Amino acid sequence: MDQEQITKEIVEEVMKAMMQEKASANKVVTKAETSNTSTNRIDSTSYPLSEKIPEKVYSRTGKKLSEIKLEDVMNGKLKSEDLRVSPETMEMQAQVAESIKRETLAGNLRRAAELIDVPDKRLLEIYNALRPYRSSKQELIDIANELDNKYNCTTCSALVRDAANVYEQRDRLRQD
Amino acid sequence: MKRSKRFEVLENRPIHEDGFVKEWPEVGMIAMDSPNDPIPSVRIENGKIVEMDGKERKDFDMIDSFIADYSINLDNAERVAKMDSVLIARKICDINITRDEILDISLSMTPAKMNEVVCKMSALEIMMGLAKMRARISPSNQAHVTNLKDNPAQLAADAAEGSLRGFDEEETTVGISRYAPMNAISILIGSQTGRPGVLTQCSVEEATELGMGMRGFTTYAETVSVYGTEQVFMDGDDTPFSKAFLASCYASRGLKMRFTSGTGSEVQMGFAEGKSMLYLEARCVFITKGAGSQGIQNGSVSCCGVPAAVPSGIKAMGAENLFSTLLDLECASSNDQSFTHSDLRRSTRTMMQFMPGTDFICSGYSSVPNYDNMFAGGNWDAEDFDDWLVIQRDLKIDGGLKPVREENVIKIRNKAAKAIQATFKGLGLPAITDEEVEAATYSHGSKDMPKRNVNADLKAIEEMMESDTSAVDIIKALYNGGFKDVADAVFNMQKQKVAGDYLQTAAILTKDFHVVSAVNAPNDYQGPQTGYQISDERWNEMKDIPWAVNPEDY
Repeated sequence: MDQEQITKEIVEEVMKAMMQEKASANKVVTKAETSNTSTNRIDSTSYPLSEKIPEKVYSRTGKKLSEIKLEDVMNGKLKSEDLRVSPETMEMQAQVAESIKRETLAGNLRRAAELIDVPDKRLLEIYNALRPYRSSKQELIDIANELDNKYNCTTCSALVRDAANVYEQRDRLRQD
Repeated sequence: MKRSKRFEVLENRPIHEDGFVKEWPEVGMIAMDSPNDPIPSVRIENGKIVEMDGKERKDFDMIDSFIADYSINLDNAERVAKMDSVLIARKICDINITRDEILDISLSMTPAKMNEVVCKMSALEIMMGLAKMRARISPSNQAHVTNLKDNPAQLAADAAEGSLRGFDEEETTVGISRYAPMNAISILIGSQTGRPGVLTQCSVEEATELGMGMRGFTTYAETVSVYGTEQVFMDGDDTPFSKAFLASCYASRGLKMRFTSGTGSEVQMGFAEGKSMLYLEARCVFITKGAGSQGIQNGSVSCCGVPAAVPSGIKAMGAENLFSTLLDLECASSNDQSFTHSDLRRSTRTMMQFMPGTDFICSGYSSVPNYDNMFAGGNWDAEDFDDWLVIQRDLKIDGGLKPVREENVIKIRNKAAKAIQATFKGLGLPAITDEEVEAATYSHGSKDMPKRNVNADLKAIEEMMESDTSAVDIIKALYNGGFKDVADAVFNMQKQKVAGDYLQTAAILTKDFHVVSAVNAPNDYQGPQTGYQISDERWNEMKDIPWAVNPEDY
């Protein structure tokens, strides 16, 4: 195993651990928690990531940023899938936003990190199911469970559960 | 009555073709300060807002619930609610108070509080607030690139010219909705031919737009609309929750995204609940913040004619832009839709954003003739390019555009038209003829363009969308067609999605794909000689309008 591969795996492990730590902690990140930083957290001084810490940026498929080259698109080594962001990189962007008090943007980027592995088609279906009068309460709860169990999208599922409750209160569920 | 000749002259002026109505607060036909606007209040119990702006939680509608639970920083909320609104208004336009100090207050406001504070400010004070609170240090500008015929060669040529002229973002939409993917590809290629790094979008129905972004046909989205009353939100076929989810969908595919809202939409759609247009817009901006969007396009946008018809409507548009900046959001400040017959009035409307500078002064500036603007006409269009350049030069204000030479424009339009011709060939789309390339090179608008076979185009688009055609195929088509530099630029735009740097607030890209955003280039304006300063290089560029006479030549 070469040096690069080892570094990559270490970074991935660390990021995974951090993501789990976040998911299991209270979903509402308070200021106190944010200031209690682990040494692996990054902040706005690491931004832009593509210039300041490119060695830590990998595509969703594990390609190092510097290895993503036009010639490899042409010779077929790089596919569309290689031109996508990874959950780990997205978490770093969330940390950048959080370090300059953009908590809601950070929250959105964390939801996005979760959704990277949800297929395009399913993502569009879930979005449409969240539109008014499209779903029963149970259907929304089922989607939340699917997000939780199938894709480990815990912050997204919380949003969908909240929507289910509010839609019920406001009479915006599907009227059969 | 014997008519006054003076009055007859006045009645024939363009301003008299505009519509004006008196205020009618009961239905929401009032721009600012409605007697029915809520009194600000907030009460927090066990870390949760239980009362907001005079309503108990049990009486919250969907928008109230969303804002109370997602949008407000609770740390200072009760303290801020008790602060004197006039005092806060003064702080906002006081150069001695930093942007961060204001954010400590404004991020803990309720919508009614922010509305009350900004209503205490004059038009000039709102501009002073905007200059300080804008997110990115440098102002910028966005173009609309559309045409009546959805002609791809013309779209590419106009996008290339727009990039050359200095726009950092370009937005297209459609005449015929099924043309969307072709239009998105056309301006993607045109924009990257004119100046690598320009961001592009295609404004259509939400799910379609996301689908195009997933394929890499676009690099950002903007038309994620939100509304200030629950009923209008439902009529728009969305909820704050669906929009928050959509925001995350975009980011998950590495796409920049901002929301859109604006004064007047609620009353236009008939459900303003008797509130002022500005108060309802405050709710929109708070929804945007709560959903975690990095920014917003607002300033009445396509409803411009509604607030413009009532007193202080144009002031309200500046006020809503200030709301966005007070919530630390990128602000693309409208100045897009045509709303008046008066040249005096349309330029005055823009001064509230042009003078202080916003993240995108127009969103966008119609880079085509008025008849080709598919967003229902632009407040500024291609025929005003030179006026804009002169206004920048007169006031030494950076409005984002640069003077260009005719020969350079012809050259870049020709290259873009040929690049899209090669791409269509590579993708197997209906051919772009040499005649079209030639026409697009020298055209002003779609009246100068030959007709295409619309049915053949639409059939080909349908087939393309049934396959998994993506930006990778576009890159290959460009490269194999001999446009390696354009292929490289389109490739680098896709590569941006891997690092995600341009997902941060108010991000734009330089020609070298360096990200400039409110993270690495935050606004630090605090009075004279601070904040954005026009460099000597930029000033020399702005000064150099080609038709100015050199005194030595006399």
